[in-house]
Amino acid sequence: MAISIAESLHIGLSDITTRKVRSIATIFGIILGVISILVVLAIINGMNASTLTWMEQRGGTSKVDVQRNWNYDFSKGGEANLSLAEVEQIRKMIPEAVAFNSQVSLYSHNELKYRGLSYYSTVSGVLPDYLQVENWGVSEGRFITDLDVHESSNVIVLGSSAARDLIGTNDVVGKKISLGNNVLEVIGILDEKSWDNKQSGSFGGNMLEYMNQQSFIPISTAINRFDNTMKVSSLQVTAQSPNQALTLQKKLDQILLNLKQGREIFRVSSAQEGIMQMQANARIFSMVFVLISAISLLVAGIVIMNIMLASVKERTREIGVRIAVGARRIDIFIQFMIQTVLITTLGGVLGIGLGLLILDNISAYLEMEMIVDFRIMFSSVLVSVVVGLVFGIMPALRAGNLDPVDALRED
Amino acid sequence: MEIIRTEALIKDYELGKVKVRALDGIDISINSGEFVAIMGPSGSGKSTLMHIIGCLDSPTAGEYYLDSVLVSKMSKSALAGVRNSKIGFVFQSFNLLPHLNILKNVELPMMYGGLSASKRKVRAQEILEGVGLADRLKHKPGELSGGERQRVAISRAIANNPSILLADEPTGNLDSQAGGDILEIFDRLHKEGNTIIMVTHDPIVAERAQRIIRIKDGLIDNGDLDS
Ligand SMILES: Nc1ncnc2c1ncn2[C@@H]1O[C@H](COP(=O)(O)OP(=O)(O)OP(=O)(O)O)[C@@H](O)[C@H]1O
Ligand SMILES: [Mg+2]
Repeated sequence: MAISIAESLHIGLSDITTRKVRSIATIFGIILGVISILVVLAIINGMNASTLTWMEQRGGTSKVDVQRNWNYDFSKGGEANLSLAEVEQIRKMIPEAVAFNSQVSLYSHNELKYRGLSYYSTVSGVLPDYLQVENWGVSEGRFITDLDVHESSNVIVLGSSAARDLIGTNDVVGKKISLGNNVLEVIGILDEKSWDNKQSGSFGGNMLEYMNQQSFIPISTAINRFDNTMKVSSLQVTAQSPNQALTLQKKLDQILLNLKQGREIFRVSSAQEGIMQMQANARIFSMVFVLISAISLLVAGIVIMNIMLASVKERTREIGVRIAVGARRIDIFIQFMIQTVLITTLGGVLGIGLGLLILDNISAYLEMEMIVDFRIMFSSVLVSVVVGLVFGIMPALRAGNLDPVDALRED
Repeated sequence: MEIIRTEALIKDYELGKVKVRALDGIDISINSGEFVAIMGPSGSGKSTLMHIIGCLDSPTAGEYYLDSVLVSKMSKSALAGVRNSKIGFVFQSFNLLPHLNILKNVELPMMYGGLSASKRKVRAQEILEGVGLADRLKHKPGELSGGERQRVAISRAIANNPSILLADEPTGNLDSQAGGDILEIFDRLHKEGNTIIMVTHDPIVAERAQRIIRIKDGLIDNGDLDS
C-alpha cells in the first residue's frame, strides 16, 4: 500500500520542474544563506591555515620562546639578560626539552665584507639546536656544530639573501668573509624562509624576508672573539609536543621568575598559546557569522514555508483527488516534505556552486586565502536539508490533514 | 450477495451555530453486481451519501458495512486501502490532475496501490485503449473534450479493478452525445460484473439502472420498492 520514497522523489521532482519559476524564487533565500555560510567558513579556514603555516615557518607548534619583557619597568632593577652560567642552569632544569638554543645578538658588528663588497646583516651567536627550534634547514654546506661552539670556530652560516647579495649564487660555501677584525669561513647557507600573509592582502609579500638577511656564528665565537661583555638575551626551546609546550612554558616562566628574584624581566610565550588565541578568535568570529547565517536561513525557511503553504492551498483539489484514489495521509505528507527538502537542497547545491564562484573572484581580488573543503560543503548541504525538513513540516502536515470531501469541493 | 449496507445513517454539518442534517437515517442495501441509480432533488444528501459509501467521509451516527465489515472500526490507512482497491470514484467535474498526462492520471491509483511503474503503464494503456483514447496518452486533460476527460476519469476509477464504482452525476457536465458514450461504458462495466452506484438527475439516465433509490431531505423516499 505504501508509496515508495523513489516514487515520492519522482513526484517532488516533476512538481519542481513544472513550477520552475516558483521553485527558483523559493530557493533564493537558501542560496544566499548557504553562500554566506560558505564564504565565512572559507575565510576562517583560510585564516587558520595561513596562521598555521606562519607558525610552522617560525619554528613549529611545539616552540617556546623566552624574550625580554618590553612591559617591564627596568627602573625597578634587573637586566634583560642571562649569563652563560644561568643559561646552563636553566638548560639542566628542563631535560624534557627536545631542542634548546640560547642567543646573543651582535649589534656592534653588522657589516659583512667580501672582496670590497659590504652587506649589513643581523649577526647572532647561537647553538647548534637553533636550526631545530626554528624549523630551519641548510640548503648548502652545514650548520654550526658542537665542535664549533667548543672551539669558538671562526665560521659563519648565511641567510639565503645575505649569501646571494654578498657573494653570489655559486661556490659560496668555503669563501672567507670578514666581520669586524675577524675573518670567518662560510660553512653553510640557510633555506629561504617565506610566508605570504594572504590575510593582509596586498600589503603582503614575504613577511619573513628579514630572516633571510640574517647570519649566524657560534655563540662562543660571538662572546670570545667579538665582545666578551655580551650576555644571552633570548632562549628558544622545542617541547616534545604542542601540549607539552604549554607545560614547558609555565615551567620556564617559574624558573625565570625565581632566577630574577620575582621580577618579570622575561616573557615566555609559546606557539601553542598563539594558536589557542587564534582559535578562540576564530570561534568568536565564526559564532557571530554563523548567527547571521542562521538568521538569514531562518528568514529563508519562513519564506519557503509560506510559499509551500500557498502551494498546498492551491493544490487542495489535487490532494483531495489523491486521497480519493487511495493516498494515505502519510503519502501526502511525505510528498510535500520531499518537495520542500528537494527545493532547499537544490538551493544548497546552487549556493555552493555560486559561493565557490564568488570565493574564486573575491579571494583573487582581496588576495586573501580562502579554503573550502569537503567538510564545509557537506555542512552547507546538510544545513539546507535541515531547513527543508524543519520548514516543510507545517505545509506537509496541513496537506496531509486536509479533509478529502472539502478538498474535492474546492475550486 | 450484499456488498453495501447502511443502518440509520445520519450526517450532520455544523455551520457555526446552525446544524444542517444532510442525512437523516438512511438504510440501504446493495448487492454485488447491482446497477443502482440514486435520484433526488438538489441538496437532498446524495453526494453526502456517496462520500460515506466511498469512505471519503464518515457518518455522524449509524452503521455502514462494506463487504460485511463495519467501516467505522477501520483504521485510517485501512480506509485508504479500501478507497484504493475496492472503490472507484467518478465525479461530475472529472477531477483529473491537470499537470499530469492522461496516462499518468490513470496510473495514479495503481501507484498508490504499489504496482511497479512498468506494470501500471501497461495496464493504464490497456484501459485507455478500451475507452478509445489510445492515441491521446501523452495529452494533458486540458487538451481533451469533456466526454474524453470523463472517459479518462472512468479509466482511473477502474484501474485497480475495484468491486464498486461510484459515479456522482457523471454525465452532468456533458452533452447528450458524450453522456451517451459514458453511459455505454458504465453499461459495459456492469455487464462485466461491476457494482455501480450512480447519482443522476436525469430520469432517462436512471432508466439504465436496475433499481432507483430516491432521496429527499436526507431520507429514503421509496425504500427498495422501486425497480
Ligand atoms: N461541508 C458542508 N458543510 C455544511 N453543509 C453541507 C456540507 N456539505 C453538504 N452540506 C449540506 O448538506 C446537504 C446535502 O448536500 P449534498 O451535497 O449531499 O446534496 P446533493 O443531494 O448532492 O445535492 P446536488 O444534487 O445539488 O449535488 C445540503 O443542504 C448541503 O448544503
Ligand atoms: Mg451532489
